[in-house]
Amino acid sequence: MTNHWIDIQHSDCILIQGSNAAENHPISFKWVMRAKEKGAKLIHVDPRFTRTSAKADFYAPLRSGTDIAFLGGMIKYIIDNNKIFHDYVVNYTNAPFLVDAKFGFKDGLFTGYDPDKRGYDKSTWTYQKDANSVILRDETLKNPRCVYQLLKAHYARYDLKKVSSITGTPEKDLKTVYEMYSSTGTKDRAGTVMYALGQTHHTVGVQNIRTLAMIQLLLGNIGVCGGGVNALRGEPNVQGSTDHALLYHYLPGYLSAPRASQQTLESYIKKITPATTEARSVNWQSNYGKYAVSLLKSWYGDAAGKDNEFGYAWVPKAEDGKDYSVMTLFDVMYAGKIKGMTVFGQNPACSIPNSNKVRAAFAKLDWMVHLNIFDNETASFWKGPGMDPAKVKTEVFLLPASASVEKAGSQTNSGRWIQWRYEATKAPGDCIYAGEAVIRIQNKLKELYRKEGGAFPEPILNMTSDGLSDKGGYDAEKVARLINGYFLADVEIGGKQYRKGDCVPSFALLQADGTTSSGNWICAGSFSQDGKNLMQRRGKADPTGLGLYPEWSFAWPVNRRVLYNRASCDPTGKPYNPKRAVLEWKDGKWVGDVPDGAPPPLAAEGGKLPFIMQPNGVGSLFGPGLGDGPFPEHYEPLEGPLAKNLMSPQQNNPAILLYKSDKDMVANADARFPIVMTTYSSTEHWCTGAFTRWQSWLTEAMPQAYVEMSEELAREKGITNGDKVRVESARGKLECVAMVTPRFRPFLVNGKTLHQVGMPYNYGWRFPEDNGDSANLLTPTVGDANAMTPEYKAFMVNVVKV
Amino acid sequence: MADGKSILVDVSRCTGCRGCQVACKQWNGLPGTRTKQTGTYQNPPDFSHQTFKVVRFADGKDKDGKPYWHFFSDMCRHCMNPPCLAGAQGDEMIHDEATGAVVYTEGTSKSDFEMSLSVCPYDIPRQDPDTKVMYKCTMCFDRITSGLPPACVLSCPTGAMVFGERDAMLAEARRRVDILKKTWPKAQALNADDVRVIFIVTDDPLKYHKYAAGV
Amino acid sequence: MRRRQFLKMSCVLGAGVALCGLGVDLVPIEAWAEEIKKIDRLKSARQTTSVCCYCSVGCGLICATDEKTGKIINIEGDPEHPVSEGSLCAKGAGMFQTTEANEHRLTKVLYRAPNSDRWEEKSWDWAIDRIARLMKEERDKSFITRNAAGQVVNRLETLAHMGSSNLDNEECWSITAWARSLGLVYIDHQARV
Repeated sequence: MTNHWIDIQHSDCILIQGSNAAENHPISFKWVMRAKEKGAKLIHVDPRFTRTSAKADFYAPLRSGTDIAFLGGMIKYIIDNNKIFHDYVVNYTNAPFLVDAKFGFKDGLFTGYDPDKRGYDKSTWTYQKDANSVILRDETLKNPRCVYQLLKAHYARYDLKKVSSITGTPEKDLKTVYEMYSSTGTKDRAGTVMYALGQTHHTVGVQNIRTLAMIQLLLGNIGVCGGGVNALRGEPNVQGSTDHALLYHYLPGYLSAPRASQQTLESYIKKITPATTEARSVNWQSNYGKYAVSLLKSWYGDAAGKDNEFGYAWVPKAEDGKDYSVMTLFDVMYAGKIKGMTVFGQNPACSIPNSNKVRAAFAKLDWMVHLNIFDNETASFWKGPGMDPAKVKTEVFLLPASASVEKAGSQTNSGRWIQWRYEATKAPGDCIYAGEAVIRIQNKLKELYRKEGGAFPEPILNMTSDGLSDKGGYDAEKVARLINGYFLADVEIGGKQYRKGDCVPSFALLQADGTTSSGNWICAGSFSQDGKNLMQRRGKADPTGLGLYPEWSFAWPVNRRVLYNRASCDPTGKPYNPKRAVLEWKDGKWVGDVPDGAPPPLAAEGGKLPFIMQPNGVGSLFGPGLGDGPFPEHYEPLEGPLAKNLMSPQQNNPAILLYKSDKDMVANADARFPIVMTTYSSTEHWCTGAFTRWQSWLTEAMPQAYVEMSEELAREKGITNGDKVRVESARGKLECVAMVTPRFRPFLVNGKTLHQVGMPYNYGWRFPEDNGDSANLLTPTVGDANAMTPEYKAFMVNVVKV
Repeated sequence: MADGKSILVDVSRCTGCRGCQVACKQWNGLPGTRTKQTGTYQNPPDFSHQTFKVVRFADGKDKDGKPYWHFFSDMCRHCMNPPCLAGAQGDEMIHDEATGAVVYTEGTSKSDFEMSLSVCPYDIPRQDPDTKVMYKCTMCFDRITSGLPPACVLSCPTGAMVFGERDAMLAEARRRVDILKKTWPKAQALNADDVRVIFIVTDDPLKYHKYAAGV
Repeated sequence: MRRRQFLKMSCVLGAGVALCGLGVDLVPIEAWAEEIKKIDRLKSARQTTSVCCYCSVGCGLICATDEKTGKIINIEGDPEHPVSEGSLCAKGAGMFQTTEANEHRLTKVLYRAPNSDRWEEKSWDWAIDRIARLMKEERDKSFITRNAAGQVVNRLETLAHMGSSNLDNEECWSITAWARSLGLVYIDHQARV
């Protein structure tokens, strides 16, 4: 979230699209309902009418996988009706930038597409520059090559009729949503966007979210109280686990993971620190070298020095351009190339698309180590449906873990608040912290490599033990300090003395010379210099009156509660909306939230642009950073109902990775599978139900797998409510209970009636006995072109009465 | 006695999250029962001697063909003059003076269950088939007499359930109905004078649940 | 009936109900719960703040732990928490069933040998020895020092790690460091799905 949960109450218009917040983030609705009671309007755009829709002032249906068409239409509406927040767009976005003359878009493709590589040469996705390499601008926004005019031209095709024929949303509903939401493009009104997996779970997931962000920029809704682009993250600490890079492509703190071509630390740092010719840009990423060195110092301690590039050689280098994410991981495993796997607190046998492929892949492992608080379909895969244990060679370890209330440590919520919690009791039996299990394995490996030697022992032997307890075990508080970082020498910075051993109170103090450590720069400041754990704070002071609660826990970065908050002020530093001033430039300093960059506002001497994480200092309406285009474009899902994309001759996202195994069948516009399907979670279960299916209060409320469908489809298929039905895709099938409901309605797409059904992915064969199995038996192995997030939300099935 | 306590249930604020349904089980140590999916979100299907709080889900289509989905967090109304007491043989059913809570004790195994159920307008009392003890919501009598809000009320995220002095709850009910009437002309507080658990609905009560307004 | 009389009777509300099922499928009655009413035990319990383990709103919890037995007896919302203000959804309100009151919790290290049809109980020491040995064997066998282009890559492509966003920050960070020290590149978790 750019903002935070409490901030939702300040919104004048809340657009929930690609989220079912009332069901999946129920407590967010405390703040949504509070906003409504202050007069805000709530819009829900979703393929199905949910508990969120039930509370909305306006609900608009759309066919799964067509958000860009829907939102592209909104961009067109905003531009055509001059609803933009002009001052903001001109000053704080790249709307005035002139784009390279050779850049273009034709037949669904941007310039530079290479069909063999399924990717783009992005050399034309750049800006025109003067002799000093400074980007040319036209602040009148009239130059036909400026971003604003290109944007206008790109979305001119997204008229109401075209959008409606793609999305199945009635034209009048589109217009109502566009009117309601674009009313927030004024100084005194704020609109917020709440989205979740309904946006990300697509082959165009990242571009879906970019479209939302672009709308927010056009309306001046980013950085302001009651605004923002707010990802409702789906797991208790998925913000933190992402921050700490349990991902192949990052190191902690969103530092790109090194690739083979970056053979030296210098070349790596050069790669991760973008340059800018914009003098008014803070370009905070130029500091990334300091954070990388401080990370290496926290990992390797004294073994990391200038003479050995701080141990850079010990960090694995992934192959350039190669994907190692989860679907590729299972594709490679299915091919028999992965021998051992550790799975901690996750249930991929039910959560990863195309479960039949995933489960077959497990059987090719030599061994699997699984850690959890309950058994699940992953740990017990060898006795699952269709498995003959006698034929499964895999050695499996199932390690018992402490539950969250039995642990001390921190977790980070969607609003980036890192909250500390305490051990309420000792865990039962032989349960231990997951952290302790990791440390035990790590310590044992160190012992073996020390005694026996082996392949490249340095990274194992040099990995820090500073986070360990006196007895060599896991110690959450000590690890937390390591993450925060220390001064490793007595230093003076900006006239202030810091002593060796002090905690680093802000990442602004981190150094690239090895005199500081920080296991994750964005968390620097979670301890005070004298070592106080700020994540434990429970202060309720509210100096702005906006519910920022700066003394409750610690929010990264540097306790900032609203990201990009300087964009809430005009170039002189006056809040656009003084009634909800998250920040104000007063008497030569910023007052309110922790400012997003200390420099003065744009118009002041030495003034800087507000988007400090962007090299050019402004929000990107033109986004050349992505792999599938600088403007979001509607493409059909890989497996959809239409033989032809109505928007362009390009059927699917041209940059997606295609898998070719014998389990990866796809059936686009195939009469055998005429029904669009989407998957989701309910309030009463969590993810694959790996925790919640073992809890009787929750299985009582949501006992068994079901498929929701319209009364019209049920009539066509001879199905009545409560019947047992079989749902089948090109990849798998399962049986579940039909829920026939007026909350599902057929769509009119391209002039024809189209049915959509939906099913929760909360179930699995392991427990309770008769609950059903995973909806992911049906889903395709395909994902987003940029993030490789799987397409769980739009694919094709058939449903028949059993 | 003063006017005692009341719970106001404003269904216009309810999102059907069922925090209340589970919080009730948690506090009262009630087991989760085995249920089946029968084509509805509502489960368990009804009250039982092990379920004192059920969120009822009702969907349908409005005149304009658009769907609606009503949530009704059903529970004992703790009537001002509880008819179910007619089934009592002695003092096994308590109508607490201070709070107004209606509480069944283990002695209800001797009560006339059929009588109590048949006279209850809201179809609330249930009986353990083995012990014959009668059960229903207690208004979290142990909590409210110890300064804690009822478990269901504490859990409610949106303010759909509030607990307090009856006078204040009645005033709040009037205020809410006045506001809600502007959007939903059918908004009303159900039988506010007769019950301590006052439901505000925004549509025909029968569209929520057969016994929403009593029979 | 007056309240005092009622409290003396204390049946349906107190131990009687508390015993009729703390968790799943009528969990065996725990000895410590037998005598005293829950409300009285709550008053003398140690209170610990925690955070809900499901979605990312991060709602506050108060866990009540019986001082005598060390067991959690109640988990409810933390009214002081500025985001949740005491409220919890169905999952959060049911957090108690993630504790050891739930008979289905794993409490032993389990091991399934190749081609076996059952779990065996093992000790932590045995499991750690075996896991570390398997990891080392595979790492020593398949470690890649240089790629086809001759670049130094120091990575291992035959082991993979997944999870978890359901662990604490400090645990996630420890796993990140450990996985990189092995040379892993196949690292992923729920953030992508």
